[in-house]
Formats: sequence, C-alpha cells, structure tokens
Amino acid sequence: MKKINRRSFLKGGVAGTAAVATTGLSSKASAAGDFGGYPDSMGVLVDLTKCVGCRTCEAACNKEQGLPAPDLPFDDFSVFDMKGHGGQKRRTSEKEYTLVNRYDIPGRDKPIFRKFQCNHCQEPACLTSCFVNAYTKTKEGAVIYDESVCVGCRTCMVACPFYVPTYTYSSAINPVVKKCIMCYDTRLKFGRPPACVEACPQEVMTFGKRKDLINLGREKIKRNPGKYIDHIYGEKEVGGTSWMYMSDVSFDQVGFDTHLGNQPIISYVKDFLAMVPMVLTIWPALFTGFHLLSNRKKANEEKENSKS
Amino acid sequence: MIRKKKKILGMAVVMSLATSFPLFAQMSAEDAPETIEIGSIAEMYEPVVFDHAAHVLMVESCSFCHHHTTGTAPEKENCAKCHQEGDEASSVACVDCHEVKPFSSANLKAKGSDPLLYHVGRPGLKGAYHQNCIGCHEQVGAPTGCQDCHARNDKGDQLFHSGKYAPEPGKTGGHH
Amino acid sequence: MNKLKARGFSPVVTHRKEDGSRWTVKEKLMLGLTPKEYWATQFKNPFNWIIAVIYAVGLPVLVGRFIFGLGWATHSSYDYPWGLFLGWGLFVMVPLSASGFMMGTTVELFGRKDFKSLERLGLLNGLLGYLFAVVFLQVDLGQPWRLVYPMFVSLGPAAVLFLVAWHVATYLSVQVAELVPAFSEWMGLKKPKKFIKSIVLGLTISGIILSTLHQGALGGLFTYTPGKLHPLWFSSAFQWLHFFCSSIFGGLSMLIVVSTLTKWFMKWRCDDKFLKNLDYCTLGLAKGCSLALITYLVIKIIAVAHDNEWGYLFSGWGQWYLFELTAGVVAPMVLYALAIRNQNASLARFAALLAVLGIALNRMNTALWAFNWKLYQEIPHWREVMIAITVYTTYIVVYRFVLARMPIVYSWKGDE
Repeated sequence: MKKINRRSFLKGGVAGTAAVATTGLSSKASAAGDFGGYPDSMGVLVDLTKCVGCRTCEAACNKEQGLPAPDLPFDDFSVFDMKGHGGQKRRTSEKEYTLVNRYDIPGRDKPIFRKFQCNHCQEPACLTSCFVNAYTKTKEGAVIYDESVCVGCRTCMVACPFYVPTYTYSSAINPVVKKCIMCYDTRLKFGRPPACVEACPQEVMTFGKRKDLINLGREKIKRNPGKYIDHIYGEKEVGGTSWMYMSDVSFDQVGFDTHLGNQPIISYVKDFLAMVPMVLTIWPALFTGFHLLSNRKKANEEKENSKS
Repeated sequence: MIRKKKKILGMAVVMSLATSFPLFAQMSAEDAPETIEIGSIAEMYEPVVFDHAAHVLMVESCSFCHHHTTGTAPEKENCAKCHQEGDEASSVACVDCHEVKPFSSANLKAKGSDPLLYHVGRPGLKGAYHQNCIGCHEQVGAPTGCQDCHARNDKGDQLFHSGKYAPEPGKTGGHH
Repeated sequence: MNKLKARGFSPVVTHRKEDGSRWTVKEKLMLGLTPKEYWATQFKNPFNWIIAVIYAVGLPVLVGRFIFGLGWATHSSYDYPWGLFLGWGLFVMVPLSASGFMMGTTVELFGRKDFKSLERLGLLNGLLGYLFAVVFLQVDLGQPWRLVYPMFVSLGPAAVLFLVAWHVATYLSVQVAELVPAFSEWMGLKKPKKFIKSIVLGLTISGIILSTLHQGALGGLFTYTPGKLHPLWFSSAFQWLHFFCSSIFGGLSMLIVVSTLTKWFMKWRCDDKFLKNLDYCTLGLAKGCSLALITYLVIKIIAVAHDNEWGYLFSGWGQWYLFELTAGVVAPMVLYALAIRNQNASLARFAALLAVLGIALNRMNTALWAFNWKLYQEIPHWREVMIAITVYTTYIVVYRFVLARMPIVYSWKGDE
C-alpha cells in the first residue's frame, strides 16, 4: 500500500478482484456449498440404545491419542453425576477427546448414555472459518488439524455448532486447539476403525462407509418397528456429519441440538462472502465518480462565480 | 420366556463326553460342553468361564442365544420367515458367524460388495457376546458390571488408569 | 496544562523558538517546557495518578498473562472461546475507530473542506483504535510471532477472518500513511508530506473499501454461529450490514466524544480554528450520525422481519434487545435530530456518548452476552477486566501523548 497512486490502485483493485472472483473466495465458497462429502468417506453410526456407559471408549481414546492421565480412573462412574458450568454435563476437553454422558429419561426403564466427540462434518465449520487453513477434511472422512500453523484465534471453537474444538488455555507459549481426529494418523489412514469403536464391548458404534451406514441405519429402524426414533442424527444436520446417531428417545433429550438445520454453517456466511467481490469492484469506481462529481460541481460553481 | 432356575439344577446335568454330534434334527444342550472359556478376544481381561450348562436351564430354547443355528425354532418372528425348526446350521459356535474384527478392511469390503446381504447389522464377536449377555443380565437383574464377569488384568488396569495406576486423589487439573 | 496556558504559556507550534533557533526533538517532546517544568506539570495532573494506580495493579497481571497463559488470566473456556480482549478490544474498538475513513471520505473525496479541522483527529482516532485492537488481539493470542501466519505461512482465503486480518493490516498502513503529513510537519520533513498528498485520493478510496469490508467482516464472523448467537442478534443476510452501518455512526460519535474530551482537558493544545469550528463540525457530524442511525434502525427491523423473529421480542432476550435498540439507537437518533434542529452542540455531544455506549453494548451483546444464549452466562475474570483496563489506559496515554505533540488539533506554523 506504500507506493500507490490512483491509477495503479484502480488497476490493482480490478485485477485483484478478478483474481478473487475467479479463483479465490467466491469459487471456493460456492464449491463448498455443493460439496456433499467425499464419495467413499468413512463414518461411524452410533446406536445410543446399546451403550451401557462403561467408559471403555474414553480409556481407549486416552491411550491411543497419548493424552494426559485422567483426573479420575476411567472405571469411576461418579463422573456421570458431575456438573460443570451452569449445570452442564461433562464436555470434551484438551485432555479428553471423547466422553460418555448419562441421561435419566423419565419413563425409560434405564438411563441412556450418549457418546460425545467430534462429528467430523462433511463441510466443517471449523475448517471453513479457519484463516490459516489448519483444518483438512480427509478423503477418509476425518477432520484433522495442523497445530503448527494455528495462531490461536479460536474462531473454529466459536464456529463449531457442536462445541467440539478445545484449546490448551493452560499453555502460555504455544496454546493450540485439541479435538478428536478420528484416529486419522494411527488408524483411519490405514483403513482401521478409530480406537473407541474397536474398544467398545457393546459394539455401540458401527464403522463403515458413510453411505452404507445410512442404509444400515434406515434398515435397523425399519426392522425394529417402534424401537428407534425415525431419524438418523447427522445424516443431514449442518450438511451431514461422518458420525451419526440413532436413539430410542428424542435427540434433544440426550443433549443433541435439534435446531441446527440442514444447511452447512458456511451457507450462512455466503451472503457476506458474495458481497466482498462486489465491494472490491464497484466501490473504487463509485467513489472515484463521487469525487469527480463533487469536484466538478465545485469547479462549475467557481466558474459561475467568476462569470458573474 | 425366561425361567430362572436354581443353579443347583445346572450342576446336576450330566454331560456325555466324547460323543460326536449325532444327526438329530435338533441339538440338545447335553451335546454342549458344561463350561466354555471365552478368552480369545480378551486383551484387558481374564478369560470368562461361561457356565453354559447353568444358562441352558434358564432359557426355554437354545434359540434364545443361538438364533436358529441349533435347529430350534427362532425366537423372532422375522427370523422364522426363513429359518424353520429343524433347520440346523453346520456350526453353532458364535465365532463362525460373528467376526472377531468386524470392521477390518477385508470384512467391510466383503459386506460392501454384496448388495443382497441380508444380515447387515450383524455385530462382531465382542459385540455379540456383550449385547447378548448384558442385554439379558439387565432384564433379569443379573450382574452387569465389567468385572462381574471377567476380572481386569494388569494391562486393563493400565488402560483404565485404575487399581495401582489410579491417579492421585485430589489432583484435579485441567481447565474450567 | 490548561492552567499553564492561562498563565501565558504557549506550546510548540513551529520549528523556531522566539530567538530564531530550532527546537530540538527533545524539546518538542517536552512541549517547549524545561524538563523540570514538564515533569512538574505531569506530577500535578491527578489523571496521571489514576493511571499510575491502574498500571501498578494492571501491569503485573498483564505480564502474568504471558507467563501463565490465557487460562490463568481469563474465564475464556471451551464454550466461550472469546472474552473481553476480543469482545471489547476488537469488536468494540474497531467500529469506534471508523472515524478515520469517514473523515477521509468527507474531506478528501467529497471535498468538504469545512470539516478539515477535524480530519486529523478523525484519522488519529482511527489509527490508534485499530492499533490497540491489534494490541488487544496480541494480548488474547499471546503468540505475536504467529501474527504473520495468515499472511504468508498458511493461507485460508475463504475464511471471514482472513479478510479481517488482511484488511485491518493494510488499512493500518493506509492510516499510518494518512497521518504521515502530521508527523512530517512536526519533524520538519517536507518530502513525505508531499508524496502522501499526491496519493491521498488512492489512500482514501482504499480506506473506504477496506473499511467497508473489514467492518462488515467483523459482523460476518458471527454468521458462523447460527446455533449459538441469539436469533435477534444473528442475521445471515444482514449481519455485515449491521456492523458496517453501525460503524459509521459509531466512528463519528466517538469522534464527537473525543473532540469534546480534547476541548475540555486539552484546550491548551487546540488552536482557535479548531475550537471555533468545533460546534459547527459537531453538528455536521451529528447530521451524518442521525442519518446512519435511522438507516441502521431500519435494517435492524428488516432483519427481525426477514427471519420472522417477532416472537422473540416478547421474551427476556427480546426486552434486552429492545433496551439496546432504544437506549443505544433510538435515543441518540432523536437527540441528534433535536440537537441539529436547535443548533445545540452540547446535546449532540450527549447523543454521541449514548451512541458510543450503544455500539459497545451491541458488540458486547453479540460477542458475549447473547452468544451461547442456550448455555449459561460467562462473567469475565477480574484479571481479564484488569488487563482490558490496563490496555485501554495505554490507548488513552498514547492518544494523549500524540495529541499533545503532533499537529492534530492545531495547525503547524511555518513549514520549512
């Protein structure tokens, strides 16, 4: 911006806008809207009705991801009664990428458990909001994160509709974001299921191609009339997620946000993104025009004055 | 459906040893071993010594656990559409249908390439055991804790950060 | 200082002393007083003592933030990633600093030379506001060496924040350039001033573009949060427009507030032209503000209608929303209109204060209070509050320092 004059500025502005319009912002943004996920990406179907709350998945995750020792042993079930801020149930943290919460539903003969971890969206809000491109949606379906480029702005945490990414607030020198990566580095990449899936004694989670899992879920709903809520959470929510859920109680009773809609988060941002190239192209011409107009008026006035 | 009998009756069952399975239309419980040690998939736990004989006495039919493979009539109406009474399978062992690694690439590929596969939701071996056992135990009020059936070994304690690997009490860190 | 002036002291306004010798930079920094006199006046100023107390408490806490991390200093959490540093430091400071591009546009682009005496104050208000927004950002991120990552190391051009980063960075340099004339006059350098003058139109237009986009982009950031931000404050279609439009009256109102404070506390530094024009300029700005306010109000109402959110107005959140609109938008709008009608600059100044507070309330609502409305309220940690006050105090100190020296509210005499 140092050596800028009007002409080169206008030139640069137009060229820059053209470049942005063809390659950058708008194309990426519109492509994002149509992106329904990689065709053969993997996923996990979680059948909440099967979970018994043994927390083996939490222990397996802790080991697989080399996380710090927990505050309480993984076979301590008092954690289900723990209450966080504002009476919230437990949530994931920089030390635990997954956890199970217990919900006591009136009228249900036993409590229902819900496993929580990153849902690995098809069009992740964390990814689309990251201005250093730290996130990647792999073709296997995992949403992974490169902490070496993270600035620590935490916009991903603000953007994630599921409150998944966490942050190492305790680190002064190099705080980074932490979240479930679907065991991409150690397992998924090699075609193996995530550690929690494999460790689960109840086989609450089914690992497979996402599209197969959707069929499986529908089939299970059909073959067990009256057992499941007729909805696979994550099939369509916020553009679809790689992790999907089946339940026999309504999803809002087990801590799912059922008001998120089916649009990917980026679709809400597009109104703004679409405006950007417009401002970049129209503003320079418009305001130069204003300037010329207002000066012309002045010049004319001066002319008039000198005449009279 | 489930009759609870005194365990003592189970003990009274006499096993005929060293007999091959005769070609009966239905197998009988006497053909099965009295106890089965299930340890093939346990890494973190001691093997389970499953008292088959005792459990036989608690259920009406082998189908309660073995679906249709033993030749008894299937419990579920839907299963009965294909599997009739007397329709005995070549194997009754759980592991012969329920895979040890249900999500291995090979298994997923095999399942994915068979569009006519009917048993799409068939659990793996570990899932089958636990769903079957715990499902019933919950209903009849039998023990459901992990270590009620199989004691955890040292490796398991390590994984669960329990026993001698338990974190020091009162040392809670982390962020709000 | 006002008392000194009353006793006949006149601060430096030219390069030469009365005896014809040049002021040295050091003497200029001391405003033409001897060091002894200078420090004596500083010690007598009660405001400096308040600052000293704030620093005594705040600086150790600020240092602590960099030693013990953000978790120690703030209540930021996994649910509430952003606290006061961004809520106040970025989202409130930036719209209140929109005066730079507004004044540049008015004077340079539309040729309204009658606002010339306020232009530099507008530019300075813009530059310092942005500068300290970046300082707040640094306090929040705590990794200054990673500041260039989005620029050069790893680029995510489809992200809204990418726009904010690039535009704030470029705009900051535009504003520095725009203030070079004031600095070069004070230093006695001719060339830079001449050069900037030749490109001032380009600078001004780029200022408009960059400001439109990044003021809008700050609002655009919240379009990522449809499930988290309360629907009354969330608008996919209009969020950027809300933020941009409110920054217009936000920046201008802040300029009125700052010029008023300058008139009260730094009258000794203002020249006659500035003081004489101030009421006229204030009322002129008031006109701009009232127009922007009515536009903003209409778009706010359209947004509620667009997403059919009338029902929410009757909830507790709705009352809070209506309070924000009434006290922060409608009230200043009406007061501005009355002030213009009665040519009452004092009333316009009060309206400006309300508008500034209204902007602050709106941004804090969006970033903190109405965010996570389905969860729980987060109350900032006392250390977080203390650090925010300390940084803001530094902003005021730097502001005052520049204002007292560079020709911002007075004209430099005798260019050489």
